[in-house]
Amino acid sequence: MEAVSYIILIGSTLLIVSVLTSYLALRIGAPLLLIFLGIGLLAGEDGIGRIAFNDPQTAFLIGSMALAVILFESGFDTKLSSYKAAAWPAMTLATVGVGITTGVIGAAAHYLMNLPWAEALLVGAAVSSTDAAAVFFLLRVGGITLRDRVRSTLEIESGTNDPVAIMLTIILVEAASHGWGSPWQVAEELIRSVFFGGALGLIGGWLVVTFINKARFETGMNPVVTLTFALFLFGGANVLGGSGYLAVYAAGLYAGNVKLRGALELRRFHAGLTWLSQIVMFVMLGLLATPHEFADIALPALAIAFLLILVARPLAVWICLLPFRFSANETTFIAWVGLRGAVSLLLALVPVLGGLDNGQMVFNTAFIVVVVSLLVQGWTIGAMARWLGLIVPPRRGPVERVELELPGNADQELVAYTVHAKSPAARGQRMPRWARPSLVIRADMVVPLYKAKPLQPGDHVYLFAPPHQLPLIDKLFGGSRALDQDDREFYGDLVLSPDATVEQIAEMYGLPLSLPNAKLTLSDLLRHEFGGSCELGDRVRMGDVELIVRDMDERGVTSVGMALEPTMATKPRVPLFRHPTELVGKLRNWWGKQSFRRWKRREQMKERRGDGD
Amino acid sequence: MLDLITAHAILPHLKAGNKKQALQELARKASELTGQPERLIFDVLLDRERLGTTGVGHGIAIPHGKLSSLDRVHGVFARLERPIDFDAIDEQPVDLIFLLLAPDQSGADHLKALARVSRLLRDQAVCEKLRGAQSGDAIFALLTQNEASPAA
Repeated sequence: MEAVSYIILIGSTLLIVSVLTSYLALRIGAPLLLIFLGIGLLAGEDGIGRIAFNDPQTAFLIGSMALAVILFESGFDTKLSSYKAAAWPAMTLATVGVGITTGVIGAAAHYLMNLPWAEALLVGAAVSSTDAAAVFFLLRVGGITLRDRVRSTLEIESGTNDPVAIMLTIILVEAASHGWGSPWQVAEELIRSVFFGGALGLIGGWLVVTFINKARFETGMNPVVTLTFALFLFGGANVLGGSGYLAVYAAGLYAGNVKLRGALELRRFHAGLTWLSQIVMFVMLGLLATPHEFADIALPALAIAFLLILVARPLAVWICLLPFRFSANETTFIAWVGLRGAVSLLLALVPVLGGLDNGQMVFNTAFIVVVVSLLVQGWTIGAMARWLGLIVPPRRGPVERVELELPGNADQELVAYTVHAKSPAARGQRMPRWARPSLVIRADMVVPLYKAKPLQPGDHVYLFAPPHQLPLIDKLFGGSRALDQDDREFYGDLVLSPDATVEQIAEMYGLPLSLPNAKLTLSDLLRHEFGGSCELGDRVRMGDVELIVRDMDERGVTSVGMALEPTMATKPRVPLFRHPTELVGKLRNWWGKQSFRRWKRREQMKERRGDGD
Repeated sequence: MLDLITAHAILPHLKAGNKKQALQELARKASELTGQPERLIFDVLLDRERLGTTGVGHGIAIPHGKLSSLDRVHGVFARLERPIDFDAIDEQPVDLIFLLLAPDQSGADHLKALARVSRLLRDQAVCEKLRGAQSGDAIFALLTQNEASPAA
């Protein structure tokens, strides 16, 4: 009994310490996950806590469950609309990208650490999956909005590359212990796990949703249903030979994108649970590590870490994103945000569990790589995004909004706003019909609607609205915000109506005009240019100016900006990551210059010879 | 800036109640300077405003347009007695207006002039000085001296 109490006491103390330090970490901007890992290390056998935790089996069990929970939430929180913008690039990164990273790092481990190929590749596979949870957390804390396509790509990539890296690891462990199977076998296994995983996930997701929507449990029960279902699905898919990780992710994705009773509450619950899972996983892995062993491999492991950050990831990203329309700065950012996290450590446990001779070495290497990645990349992410000009300046001022879910399936939400002092509503602007408040509370008193006009700053306004109209209503009750210099750089100097035609603009400003485009409106032009899905901040060059998507709603572009002197926002910051056509152009330029120089030299020689005659 | 604006082209205390009036006053001044019909100038400006507001924020507006029979790019600067609503992008009232008129065949000159004006008025310090200046001459000096460093 005493022992159990001690374990509980120690475990909860670690959690409390983690939560408290997370508060501190936010203040100093340190990568949170690193803090959790650090707490684990400090409490561990080589730290001040001297807790000897050497049970990879238990660690893997707890870690897998935590990962399943995290993946479910990551799917649950991913909007299907972001798939529209970023599915293909993200999937390419999650498959081909993982392959390239594994290959490069595997080769490095083979030569630097003298590991046999299968085990060297295991190091590669373990560190090939990215952990975006940390990235988005850091960005969110800084109050920074990333450009949509970049954010979606990173988000989907991090959700989908875990299963791929996991499958790769399992196959490699088998190869290391029983010799390589035929490529056919490997392929069959891969396809089966993807197919089973995905299909079971979708079926499972559908089941959960129907269950919750039909059975009408007490609301307190819903989180229990989703959580147990996620774990059930994870285990079930794994037993049936599918990928459990893919299954929970797919189930989460399904459940998060259809109508679900109590979805808001479930989101809160799963967000909290994900926090817990992250903390538990990192603290536990920190406990498990034995830093005194690190000295033997520190140098090659550090080399591998920097190879990963500076070579393998950029190379993989560059190759994978070539077919897609990403600017050099976007590619640079995606390459930089290859943050590694708990998944890498968990995967590195698989060889330990598989009883490979060099298993511990693989784990230690992965551990060092993760720490370096969290330190170097995790700490610099916000600065990097700002430097590369990928941050969308917020368009609206602060909005104070609370959404309340209504019982029943009405497609309406009850939203509560606090009227901002600098909002159109407080300035007395007439409210459109769909934004008329149903209830106004002023100074803690309910005010009859006919007496409530005009609205005053600080009023609490309650109204019913379909969710898609919320952005419009935000504009009415939220504060407007002052423009600053970044806005000009991001959105251009002048504003144009999206209905102006290309011809009009070209004529007005003496810009070159291509005839097929002449009759297009600016919004059509932008839409065509970006394959039907343009987003805030997209830029199209037109002669000496740039046209920029300044604002949009669900129907399309509502405002176009014009930059008179295109500035750094599009100029690549890092001279890597060019498109091949660009490189070829550069090469041709260079060659042309060389030929000219040679020609000049020949002429001079001729002249000199002429002089000699 | 000297090639864009003259000391005569400055209205240091323009009185206007709304955007239309302000544009009208500016058109009148421009008509005096260029000899073009006032009505024509006003219509050109209105046409441009229809494509999107030229109120670029922070109390600045840069209305502009093209006229067929101009010889070069002309500028008129006005400081309003009282700020007016100009449908500016930040919804803030406007009190500094720089009007630009370019000949039809001006090509890149029109854009360059616009870019220069926009760059100059982007400088908050310059704008504050313009708002505090005592006379038209002082405004003229501010507008022209600040161009000394073209890189800024």
